[in-house]
Amino acid sequence: MHIDRLERYWIIAVGVVFGIFAAAIIASVVVFGVHLPSPVGRIDPAKIAESEFAHPGLTQDSDHAYTLHLVAKMWRFDVGSKEPQPTIKLPVGSKLTIIATSLDVTHGFYIEQHDVNMMLLPGQISEVVVTFNKPGVYHIICHEYCGPGHQAMVASIEIS
Amino acid sequence: MQQIKPQNNAAELTFPKIGLLSSEQWIVGSHVLTGLLALLIGIFLGPFQVFRRAPALKWAIPVFSYYYQALTVHGVMNALFFTTFFIVGFSYFTVIRSLKRQMWSTKLVWIAYASMLIGLLLVVYALVTNQANVLYTFYPSLIAHPAFYLGLVLLIVGTWIVTANLFLTYYQWRKENPQEHLPLAVFATLTNFVLWCVASLGVAIEVLFMLLPLSLGLITHTDPQAGRALFWFFGHPLVYFWLLPAYTSWYAMLPKQANSKIFSDPLARVAFILLMIFSIPVGVHHMFTDPGVSEVMKGIQTVFTFVVAIPSLLTAFNVGSMLERAGRNRGAKGLFDWMWKQDWKNPVIAAQISAMLLFITGGITGIMNASLTLNIALHNTSWIPAHFHQTLGGAVTLTFMGICYWLIPMIRGRALYSVKIALWQVHTWSIGMMIFGYSYGAAGLLGVPRRTDLGAAPYINADAVPYLNLSIASGVLLLISAILFFVNVFGTLMLSKQPLTEEAPIDTYVETKSPLWMEKWGLWLSIVAILCVIAWAPVFMEVVDFTHGFQIPGYNPNGGLYKP
Repeated sequence: MHIDRLERYWIIAVGVVFGIFAAAIIASVVVFGVHLPSPVGRIDPAKIAESEFAHPGLTQDSDHAYTLHLVAKMWRFDVGSKEPQPTIKLPVGSKLTIIATSLDVTHGFYIEQHDVNMMLLPGQISEVVVTFNKPGVYHIICHEYCGPGHQAMVASIEIS
Repeated sequence: MQQIKPQNNAAELTFPKIGLLSSEQWIVGSHVLTGLLALLIGIFLGPFQVFRRAPALKWAIPVFSYYYQALTVHGVMNALFFTTFFIVGFSYFTVIRSLKRQMWSTKLVWIAYASMLIGLLLVVYALVTNQANVLYTFYPSLIAHPAFYLGLVLLIVGTWIVTANLFLTYYQWRKENPQEHLPLAVFATLTNFVLWCVASLGVAIEVLFMLLPLSLGLITHTDPQAGRALFWFFGHPLVYFWLLPAYTSWYAMLPKQANSKIFSDPLARVAFILLMIFSIPVGVHHMFTDPGVSEVMKGIQTVFTFVVAIPSLLTAFNVGSMLERAGRNRGAKGLFDWMWKQDWKNPVIAAQISAMLLFITGGITGIMNASLTLNIALHNTSWIPAHFHQTLGGAVTLTFMGICYWLIPMIRGRALYSVKIALWQVHTWSIGMMIFGYSYGAAGLLGVPRRTDLGAAPYINADAVPYLNLSIASGVLLLISAILFFVNVFGTLMLSKQPLTEEAPIDTYVETKSPLWMEKWGLWLSIVAILCVIAWAPVFMEVVDFTHGFQIPGYNPNGGLYKP
């Protein structure tokens, strides 16, 4: 099959560009340690009361390390408080491990300005680690449609 | 139809038998117009979502408390029904004209049409009665009325019948013409329906074995992670199913319309083969943030996604050179002036070139979305609708509109109602989509979520407000553009008095000899099957809970547990 000279150069250029893109992605994982959510375990939502999610909320592990257990449900993030749109307060420099799941339908979990982005599915546990270096109030937003109350499903993290 | 003037290659292009024309007219017309009817329902709900999401205008849309219902209608009608009906009608036209023969079975044509039409009616019923607010991705464990799923099944079954009919027509032709070179447009159509059939297996399994039985009350539980995997097995090739007919028009029809020649016919076929093969093992790039799929599989499908971008870049070169030749024919001398020395006064050409321009940003943003770790910054933000309104809303829909500007006159047998309106429509559409892409892309980077009734949300990042307000301009432009489009469609059907002037831009011959091995469909299917096993079998091993099965009950999208 005949391939024109110019077209051959084009194909090679395309190959090189995608090689560079692939190298950048590998670097982002290997060098900069960016990771995507990956399987950490399953949970039957009917048995949530007997699990680590029985009492969602914040626990302090060490000086600057915290763990947050969170249950997403139609249409709020349950972090152990009664408020519909709770606020979690943490000092600057906190390293927060978030362990989350959904009680009912598919929800989203997104923290503004912190590259935290994951799906919360009933039956699956999602986990992410994030460090807060700048004071401010950051919304946790449910970014997957979950019913008519979806747009009100928000919590905040206050870093001071 | 009888007034078609003989074209460049006269003997090849005139249609032989008058008796066929009426049936062709009906076959193509019914599918294309049903598709446009679905578009008519879906398209006008788009701008109002933009208005509702913009802080400066949200108060103006108080009746729009049906945000998610409207969003579902917008997605399902535009992305599933408009595209499918239009593509089937366009594919029939391409095959009938290029192979100069009737479909293998006209009866099957109408059986498939009836199946798809009943599907459309069932889905419209479920949507209008507010019983299927599950968006066009219908992720479990939100469960819609059974009519919604039944309608989708009928739509898909209809397309399977269409595929069988297309292939039987092709085999019949091939048997009679064992040495003839298959016209590129038909080759492209066949690759498109192969990829569609393989892809639709995923969603068929999801709907038939998970969603429909749950919706009917035959089973009580489901698995959202497995459902998402099955959906995206289908969902990404689905976007190629929309795109390939646009490519078909750019490769096989635009050269005729722009008075140019395709640069390389064999490489066009290579591009279609690559698109058919590599559009399947890439769907996990929609699930990069899902907890149930390992990073290894996400990485593997990133690589495949990069591979499937290559045929699109081959297309950029091939179609670009074709346009350069068209520009030079019109007197372009410089390095770049061929780009604007095109026939911008012809809406068919203007629409397709504008579509290509939109596809440049659509393609680049798509590569960003698929770039594994970069996806964390983009997933489910308004960046994503910005992206697919450049690709589906831009490249595909604007090309389809351009096709309508010669196909609807051909169906009606009258000239286009107004070339001027068509040109205004094309330019308002492309500028509208660019503004939409820019404003929603920027807002998405600032954390504005997609698929959210922001008008009622208690949070809006102040930095994003100007961008959301800017998007109002895109809503206004696209609303005007949509009205202009349908004025022209109805005008051509009802008011146009002028005789037909445009000819069908159909190839019945191939100048460049393309190797016959490209038609080894069995080989391509085997490669697709092998790649599916490599890319998808491990994903399904991860997401399916083999010890417990389904554990998650269904929920009503309006709140509470789902009751059949």
